[in-house]
Amino acid sequence: MKPLIETRGLTKVYPDGTVALRDVSLRVHPGEVHGLLGENGAGKTTLTKILSGLLPPTSGEIRWRGEPVRFRSPREALRRGIGMVHQHFALVGPFTGLENIALGAEGGGALGPLRASTVRGRLERIMDESGLRAPLDVPVETLPVGVQQRVEILKMLYRDVELLILDEPTAVLTPQEAEELFETLRGLKAQGRTVIFITHKLKEVMEITDRITVLRGGRVVASLETREATPEKLSTLMVGREVVSEARRPRKATEPGEPVLTVRDLCVRGESGLRAVDGLSFEVRAGEVFAVAGVQGNGQTELVQALTGLRPFQGDVQVLGRSLKGLLPGEIGALGVAHIPEDRRKMGLILPFTVAENSVLGLQRFPRFRGALGRLRWRRIYGHARTLIEAFSIQAPGVRAPAAALSGGNQQKLVVGRELSKSPRLVIAAHPTRGLDVAATQYIRDLLARLRDEDVAVLLVSADLDEVFQLADRIGVMYEGRFTGIAPADALDRETVGLLMGGLPLEEALRARARARGSGEGSP
Amino acid sequence: MSARLGGLRVLLEVGVALLLGLALGAVLMALWGYDPWKAYQALFQGALGDRFGIANTLSRATPLILTGLTFAVGVRAGLFNIGAQGQMILGALVAVLIGGLLDLPPGLHLPVTVLGAMLAGALWSLPAAFLKLTRGVHEVISTIMLNWIAYWFTGYVVIAYLSQGRRSLQVDPTARFPLIMAGSDLSYALLLSVLLAGLVYWALWHHVAGYELRAAGLNPEAARYGGVRPNRSLVWAFLLGGLAAGGAGAVEVLGRLPFAITNDLSNLGTLGFDGIAVALVGRNHPLGILLSAVFFGALAAGRTMMGYRAGVPFDMIQIVQGVIILAIAAPEMWRIARLRPRRARTPAAAGPAGTGTEGTEGGEGGERERERRQA
Repeated sequence: MKPLIETRGLTKVYPDGTVALRDVSLRVHPGEVHGLLGENGAGKTTLTKILSGLLPPTSGEIRWRGEPVRFRSPREALRRGIGMVHQHFALVGPFTGLENIALGAEGGGALGPLRASTVRGRLERIMDESGLRAPLDVPVETLPVGVQQRVEILKMLYRDVELLILDEPTAVLTPQEAEELFETLRGLKAQGRTVIFITHKLKEVMEITDRITVLRGGRVVASLETREATPEKLSTLMVGREVVSEARRPRKATEPGEPVLTVRDLCVRGESGLRAVDGLSFEVRAGEVFAVAGVQGNGQTELVQALTGLRPFQGDVQVLGRSLKGLLPGEIGALGVAHIPEDRRKMGLILPFTVAENSVLGLQRFPRFRGALGRLRWRRIYGHARTLIEAFSIQAPGVRAPAAALSGGNQQKLVVGRELSKSPRLVIAAHPTRGLDVAATQYIRDLLARLRDEDVAVLLVSADLDEVFQLADRIGVMYEGRFTGIAPADALDRETVGLLMGGLPLEEALRARARARGSGEGSP
Repeated sequence: MSARLGGLRVLLEVGVALLLGLALGAVLMALWGYDPWKAYQALFQGALGDRFGIANTLSRATPLILTGLTFAVGVRAGLFNIGAQGQMILGALVAVLIGGLLDLPPGLHLPVTVLGAMLAGALWSLPAAFLKLTRGVHEVISTIMLNWIAYWFTGYVVIAYLSQGRRSLQVDPTARFPLIMAGSDLSYALLLSVLLAGLVYWALWHHVAGYELRAAGLNPEAARYGGVRPNRSLVWAFLLGGLAAGGAGAVEVLGRLPFAITNDLSNLGTLGFDGIAVALVGRNHPLGILLSAVFFGALAAGRTMMGYRAGVPFDMIQIVQGVIILAIAAPEMWRIARLRPRRARTPAAAGPAGTGTEGTEGGEGGERERERRQA
């Protein structure tokens, strides 16, 4: 069968040198639901942005119905019949569904009249044919997210798209809404439309797709029929089988001690009001690294925010027996909790502030740095900054240089150094090595291992399985706000964690792994 | 600290801008048939030509230092607080009330009056802070409205209760600032302004509350992470600004003729709004504001001579001064304008068009953010 859309040797290099896609060839046939599966940073989003005209490829070609095409804008792609629904909807909140759908598709040129009755008539027809219904006359901002998404899809159908690209469409939906979305997709397929469905959730991809293309590190690692796929196979493809490149950080002989952090029935609401963390219970002991693994966006951010006083929560959280309920970030810091935030540029540092000023962010009220009447003790602050530069080998033009002048690795070292200078009992490290080069990554992982050996409790939140396996004593895998499993790191391997990250419960994942290993060893 | 490091660069920038502004003003004057050389000579003469000129310059700089501080502290905290005008007017009113109606011993009368005026300014900044924190009302809107309320209220009180001919009653001699130079308007109010500028500098760079205020102004998210309570910092910025603006009203009424408020409030002029320009030219730094206020004072002092000696009409003088001020303030205005939208950016801006809702920052949010930055 002739593919509807096809890419050949698509490569995308970003201006900063990051290679997001390497030689990607993708074939999507008409009338199929095609799953695009991959971890964070695998290149899924970049690929779809190129397909929908948002980004130009660096090299390679796109063929639409066999004919080479080049899109200079999303509008051009749309004219050909390719429409994308982004994870963050492109809707005007105070406009009604009808107005949103008509916006930009008025027809008749810039001055053409917009006839609500014409739009409505056509929309009614589309809704009847597709079975996809949404209220047209209320402001979209008053609608639940799932219904807003339907408005987005209707917007694309109104523009007569043949290929609909959905970027992580279920990320913002409740399970019921997701089920309704799948119904919709089946209906669209029945109409002969084609769908590219981006996800990292194995269950969904197994349920809704006909074919699956798996991306890893910007390459296509496999393209297969869904009926030939199993969750284990997919997770192996997604996560990769490479030999763990670096050894586990050996821990010293002593056993973990008393629990430092105890979490019971923690529930946290995310930005959208949905429950991002949904009943978590765990503890982190002194001298232990507890790693929270999982694909980004499964509640890890909200978990960390709740534990550090940045977001209100329900449930019981205690650090060394003190409840964190209602405490502010500064008060939690004073209890001996260090926080290496997931975004050093947005949260960890104030970039226009000097290195010295940044070296005491969060410590500014410690008596060490605050004298009588609230006076800042600059001499000590400068001394402190110089100590950090020395102790953590931070490359900086000086303590009076703005933090913005430092490279990413050195910025992160500054954050880590500052947090460790609190002599913490608990370190909460969120994606501590994201975006760092190999040397800086090693440095920070070694540091975390050393802390563990010094009887500090470490809560590591990471989407990087290498990191998790190098450091963790125990691993909890988060999926949609819950743990799909908590187990000692020795009891798990990458593939099992991959299954857990895709939403399989622990027993099922272990059984599936045992089966796979059994058959593997049975036929050498 | 960084402000001090960049001091040389700022001076250079201001110097170039000043020359550009002067040149542009000269072209304008030449085009309309006035002699720019003579005009600038007169301006310089009037402002710095003799000791009376200098005294006049410094005297006019005195309240501008304070209203400049008001705006600058706001900017440092991430605010666009333009309420100095109303706070200054109320400060002046309270200065007239305490200074003119209360009988206090000589050593006490002046400080009590000044303090009362400053507190009045601070009090008048609180509604804006309250509205912002509880209802999210932008301070530009609320302070503009508060300015008008203060203006008409004070005008009413002056005419209805305090009027003595074309002005309100005068403050008692015991509540007036002593003169530094006899025969001029230069009083020890200047000392108060300089002292307050020093205090603000100290508070911003040597006090933990100032550190937190600046942190909240540059990056509220990081500030919160660092244990700062951004709301508290905002209130501090409003209060500190209000104190300074109220002080500006006090020094104007207690430091120079007519030692009262005229019926039409014209002797208070637009000291509050002028403070915005003073702060912009002074790069929102207390030390810069001292220099900048003197510059503005010089323009105000030299104005008369420019009209009198060079025959330049008042409108033309204002245009030329506007051009000069604009040239110097432009780089800073540009920087502030560039700073603001970045702060307001939401994750939902990723889509090709505006968005109605923000989904959770879930899924590949981080990846998307990274890619957008790279793209």
